Amino acid sequence: MPLLTKVVPIALVLAAWELIARLGFVNPNVFPPVTDIVLRWFAIMADGRIAAPLYGTMWRSLLGLAGAILVGVPLGLLMGRVRLIEWFFEPLFAFGFSLPKIALIPLYVSWFGIFSLSKVMVIFTDCLFPIVIFSYHGARGLSSMYVWSAQARGTRRVRMLWRIVLPLSLASIYDGVQVAVVVAVLAAVVSEMVSGGGGLGELMIRSYRFGDVRTAFATLVTISLVGFAFFKLTHWLRSYFLHWHVSEA
Amino acid sequence: MKVFPVVKIVPLLLLAAAWQTASVSRLLPASVLPSFWDVAASLGAMMRSGELITHTLASFARAGGGFFLAVGIGIALGLLMARIRIVERALEPILLLIYPVPKPAMIPLFMVWLGIGNASKVAVIVLACLLPIVNTTFNGVRSVDQTLIWSAQARGTSSRRLLWRVVLPAALPQIATGVRTAIAIAIIVMVSSEFIASESGLGYLIFSYGGVGADDAMLAVVIYLATLGFLVDRCYLAGLQHLIAWHAFAH
Amino acid sequence: MPASYLELRSVDMQYGEAARTTHALQGIDLDIHEHEFVTIVGPSGCGKSTLLYLVGGFLRPSSGSLRLRGQPITGPGPDRGIVFQRYSLFPWLTVRGNVGYGLGEQRMSRAERNRIVDAYVQLVHLRGFENRYPRELSGGMQQRVALAQALACRPEILLMDEPFGALDAQMRRILQDEVRRIWRQDAKTVLFVTHDVEEAVALGTRIVVMAAHPGRIKEVFERGFEVADGEEFETNPAFAALKLRIWRSVKAEFEAPAA
Repeated sequence: MPLLTKVVPIALVLAAWELIARLGFVNPNVFPPVTDIVLRWFAIMADGRIAAPLYGTMWRSLLGLAGAILVGVPLGLLMGRVRLIEWFFEPLFAFGFSLPKIALIPLYVSWFGIFSLSKVMVIFTDCLFPIVIFSYHGARGLSSMYVWSAQARGTRRVRMLWRIVLPLSLASIYDGVQVAVVVAVLAAVVSEMVSGGGGLGELMIRSYRFGDVRTAFATLVTISLVGFAFFKLTHWLRSYFLHWHVSEA
Repeated sequence: MKVFPVVKIVPLLLLAAAWQTASVSRLLPASVLPSFWDVAASLGAMMRSGELITHTLASFARAGGGFFLAVGIGIALGLLMARIRIVERALEPILLLIYPVPKPAMIPLFMVWLGIGNASKVAVIVLACLLPIVNTTFNGVRSVDQTLIWSAQARGTSSRRLLWRVVLPAALPQIATGVRTAIAIAIIVMVSSEFIASESGLGYLIFSYGGVGADDAMLAVVIYLATLGFLVDRCYLAGLQHLIAWHAFAH
Repeated sequence: MPASYLELRSVDMQYGEAARTTHALQGIDLDIHEHEFVTIVGPSGCGKSTLLYLVGGFLRPSSGSLRLRGQPITGPGPDRGIVFQRYSLFPWLTVRGNVGYGLGEQRMSRAERNRIVDAYVQLVHLRGFENRYPRELSGGMQQRVALAQALACRPEILLMDEPFGALDAQMRRILQDEVRRIWRQDAKTVLFVTHDVEEAVALGTRIVVMAAHPGRIKEVFERGFEVADGEEFETNPAFAALKLRIWRSVKAEFEAPAA
């Protein structure tokens, strides 16, 4: 029953949309009916037109994200435990947080060329922030009890990081990853829209330039599905990675 | 929480100094990155010529317009959703549907509908900023303790006056966090839209300078934009701390 | 027979539908006279707070009637002041702002309003804290502000819903004395809900014992003796005896199987 109440408003909106478009109140080439969009979506899925761009966006976002995790988690954890590193990096991240990282696209293009690497670097930079910030707060917020208990057992600093700080901060880090996954897809798409070179973003711009609004909509649907899928996947995997964590009790 | 801790600028200064040293000593060739000094000089020139001001105004007119529209509409919608069941039932699924759609990706579609001028950009910014504001307003209003409402009623507040006297002030801290998110979103969408199609604005400047290889000017605008975004956020927080001094902010 | 000051007749309160109905109150008949201090005590779920909220007009009964001075109670109003256990203060207002809140709904000059606020701040011994925000105050101080806020509206009846439940024992004693003192001074009618039998006897001239499942009035006790401020009632045999009787009445509800 609750599912039905959720579907009804959406169904009504879609029905209204369909009617408005079909009855000629708007130019169907500017505002296509829902059914046209759905058909187009199936069409581009079937004939493979979307395969390459979809693949492109996905692997770029995942690569950028992976890089951000590899660099960001250790950096964030160190920031949380080592005063000097915190002192130096925290203002940098606080300051850079307000900059839309996509503003760096032209710079990265001049460094890394207009193909995939510059985009991956944009995605990397964009994902770095949530991951560093969440890891940092995770490491900082650790109950001192755990640390003291480990120190009492003679654990040295580096091992401390790996065996105590990392596992305990994992929940916070994972929160950061959940945020970063969505950011990754967004950054991928926007950088593709701006600098071309394949991907769903480029497909979007191309459809726009050819006036092919149906494909543009279908691409938008695909982009949203990718973002949604990534988000849900990380959500489901959370219990797999963190079933043992105190916060999940 | 101190909003403008001055001492935190030191690492940034160190970074600038390291940058300059690396450039001067040719460790960092000018073809890769112009020197910090060149960038600073470029920034100065753009400020003096008024170019920066013109484009700042253009950008922030769009972002500001979209943002304030979103605040007005968003708070109203959030309120209606929190108070009237039907509105909540009707709008919630629609908002959930719009949420996963990356708004910058909608820019080309809005350009089809509203042209490549300001209207399309403002429209996307409004849509992008709406969600956090509606969400936090809805949650804020919903989470007002029943006892507060009852207290007010027992002191003689009529149902009509409850909204203004109790509900909105109680929900304000939460609405304020949504607004802060919306500010950041407005700037991001503003820059994205200016990259994609624009004749003016800070995003346009970055894009066009980058396009002709004028890296020092481009970087000058990037740093300027970063600083501006930072200041806007901090000023907002400072204003908030003053307005919501009564709230125990857990920072 | 003249109608009593506050009259509850066959008050019934039910929540939920069909098979999952909660019978919060059943057949409540109660007469409360002016200037009485009535305490209502009972285990969790006996509906004592619900009863208070019905008198306050925040809830409507499923059936039955509630009348104050012969007039049916239709909604909340400043004639019935209330103090909750928590969250009755407006966090965005200072102590001054909170105490004067109800006055803002009435027409009066700023000077008059300030005069009244000062008087009530003084009454609850919070002079010097006028410009503090609730978050800067201790639990005991917050409840004192809540009390002043309710009293400033000059209610006919003061409703108190376990107001000292969240406070420590010493603060509770101190505030009990304050309430008793204010009641004696202003001769208000007070309806005080508590789960603490000792508090019920210390404050109430009449003590209503309620039972749960369904919520109903089990017994009503007349205290019959005075309690002075600051009295160490542990040493008063009459007090101890009454407390024991009431405690046994309440305890029986825990030990009896649910009806």
